[in-house]
Amino acid sequence: MSLETFWRYVPSLISGFEVTILCWAAGGALGLALGFAIALLYRLRLPPLRWALRTFVEIFRGTPFLMQLFLLYSGGPYIGLRLSATAAGILGLGLYSSAYFAEIFRGGFAAVPVGQIEAALSVGMSPFDTLRRVILPAALIAAVPPMVNLLIVLSKETVVLSIITVPELMYQMQTMAAETFTAFDAIFAMAIFYWLLVEAVSRLGRRVERRVTAFMTEEARPA
Amino acid sequence: MIDIRGVRKRFGEQEVLRGVDLTVDRSEVVCIIGPSGSGKSTLLRCVNFLEAYDAGEVRIEGKLIGYEDGAGGARRPMNARRLREMRREIGMVFQHFNLWPHMTALGNVAEPLLRVRGLAPREANERAMAMLTRVGLTAKADAYPARLSGGQQQRVAIARALAMQPRLMLFDEPTSALDPELVGEVLEVMKTLAAEGMTMMIVTHEMGFAAHVAGRIAFIDGGRIVEQGPPRTVFHESAEPRVRQFLQTYHDRNAF
Amino acid sequence: MRPQVILHSFGYLTQAAGVTLALSLAGILLGFLVGSAVCVARVSPRPWASWLGGVYVSVFRGVPLLVLLLFIYYFLAEFGLDVPAVAAAVGGLALSSGAYQSEILRGALNATPKGQAEAAVALGFATSDIWRRILLPQAFRLSIPPLINEFILLLKASSLVSVVGIAELTRVSMNIASLTYRPLEAYVGGGLFYLAINLGLAAVGAYAEKRLATGAAR
Repeated sequence: MSLETFWRYVPSLISGFEVTILCWAAGGALGLALGFAIALLYRLRLPPLRWALRTFVEIFRGTPFLMQLFLLYSGGPYIGLRLSATAAGILGLGLYSSAYFAEIFRGGFAAVPVGQIEAALSVGMSPFDTLRRVILPAALIAAVPPMVNLLIVLSKETVVLSIITVPELMYQMQTMAAETFTAFDAIFAMAIFYWLLVEAVSRLGRRVERRVTAFMTEEARPA
Repeated sequence: MIDIRGVRKRFGEQEVLRGVDLTVDRSEVVCIIGPSGSGKSTLLRCVNFLEAYDAGEVRIEGKLIGYEDGAGGARRPMNARRLREMRREIGMVFQHFNLWPHMTALGNVAEPLLRVRGLAPREANERAMAMLTRVGLTAKADAYPARLSGGQQQRVAIARALAMQPRLMLFDEPTSALDPELVGEVLEVMKTLAAEGMTMMIVTHEMGFAAHVAGRIAFIDGGRIVEQGPPRTVFHESAEPRVRQFLQTYHDRNAF
Repeated sequence: MRPQVILHSFGYLTQAAGVTLALSLAGILLGFLVGSAVCVARVSPRPWASWLGGVYVSVFRGVPLLVLLLFIYYFLAEFGLDVPAVAAAVGGLALSSGAYQSEILRGALNATPKGQAEAAVALGFATSDIWRRILLPQAFRLSIPPLINEFILLLKASSLVSVVGIAELTRVSMNIASLTYRPLEAYVGGGLFYLAINLGLAAVGAYAEKRLATGAAR
């Protein structure tokens, strides 16, 4: 492929990258919010609610993301859920990741030592204040490393959206490859691109993670 | 039996041992005491070269451990096989037992007999069983370490070391990780060993035990041996202020 | 929703589930060999070996599986290599899983307390015996639960090989969807199969973890 031909595709590749970022950010944010809500509701200890939440989480963790996307995108219209490919992609990423985020937050809550909660209650803090001032901060900090990890995993999952024709980077790249008969070059470039992207995001993530947890250990150290 | 001369050890910036001299005779029991961070454990670990000392000499029955004479008078690290052969003669008991959790008590004792001494399985098991009997754990032979109390685990660890028929035994705070009520059973086994004439070098915080069993006490502080002598002298007649202060703290803590 | 669509295609789905299971099993086993080799390289004292191992993990965890699968597919086509699609798919799964498995094995090795190797050193064990008798048996036990978990993840990831046309569970669900014009039922049916397999595997994993918890640890 000549440089000139490639140049013609640059705008569509850039727009593809934008869609990738949009899906990642929006899907991740949706998953984070939903997952947090699930973990909080789980703490209410209402058996039927717990059972329902558990089922939700098991279903989304027990089936492939691609199947969930198919179900949402091509099965959705049959139950009155008509979504554009991109909307289905974002909603799919959000639902899928919410199950994992919920488990992460549940683990975060479990990581708060009972003693800290007892200490708060023993000095007369209300259960709400105990949750807000003692449990939540500790749980969120404990959840940071797996959250960073999950966000990295999600950045790779956005590629799967190309299968349901979400016009993200992989989709645009394949379109270009099909039109210019350069499948191998294109996929090679994609591999390098994603490797560098994930590597960069991982490094950034580790740095954020170290920041947050170092602050915590610093704080936790007795004066 | 053990000859330690001018041993120095540095961890990065910090010099943990700053020229230690100590000898242990055959059948002698030497207890090493001192404040935490004084270099007690490091010294003990230099004796079987789990820790490589930087300068000085450690000789076991006259034989230098860890180093060999190299070209031009410089010494070089000892051949790995020869080092292993020397270590076989030196038993070691650790603070945290270091039993292998995937093997039973009997398996833990028999394993080195099989792998290192090359005994046949039957013979190894027989000797291992005899050792467990010696530490009073015949009934626990088939139990995994997770099912044993700390005191029992440490006794298995002692049996494991003894089964190799070592010429001397090193104990690195053998009771420090135990609940108070389990300390006695381990010390009892060690007392018997001492009475049988085993050469022992013991890092410990059990002053009462040291006073009764040790032939000699070595007090170490800041990487040097500050004072050594018979228990009575060190515990009651020492003029060295650091020793007196250390013992005072110990007495205060244990006074009711 | 018409559940009978699922019932009618039950036979196809069962067969496809078998293909999915076989693909992932081959992937996880081959991946274990890859992962062991990479792990050995990473803990090697030779700098170039541990560097190579690190690069392997970074590359195969960094490149999305879909990209990797298509890469292999096009790579074979580009150089005219006649490799069956199934073999290419299993190879892709194994290469990717190998990166994750090497990390699991390395973690298990690091999790074995240092004192246990030290006790063996003090007793005069040869290095090879320390590995064979003390470190590896324990590392293997410790890695069984995470390896089962990795198997579940790989089984789900194997749905991506549907894009190269292998008739596994996802592909067959797609076919049923387009043949019957009933995508909802087809995908729910396929999903139930995945769910059943994974819940079964998760139960095995939980059982293994419980067994190991009572056998080991201080």
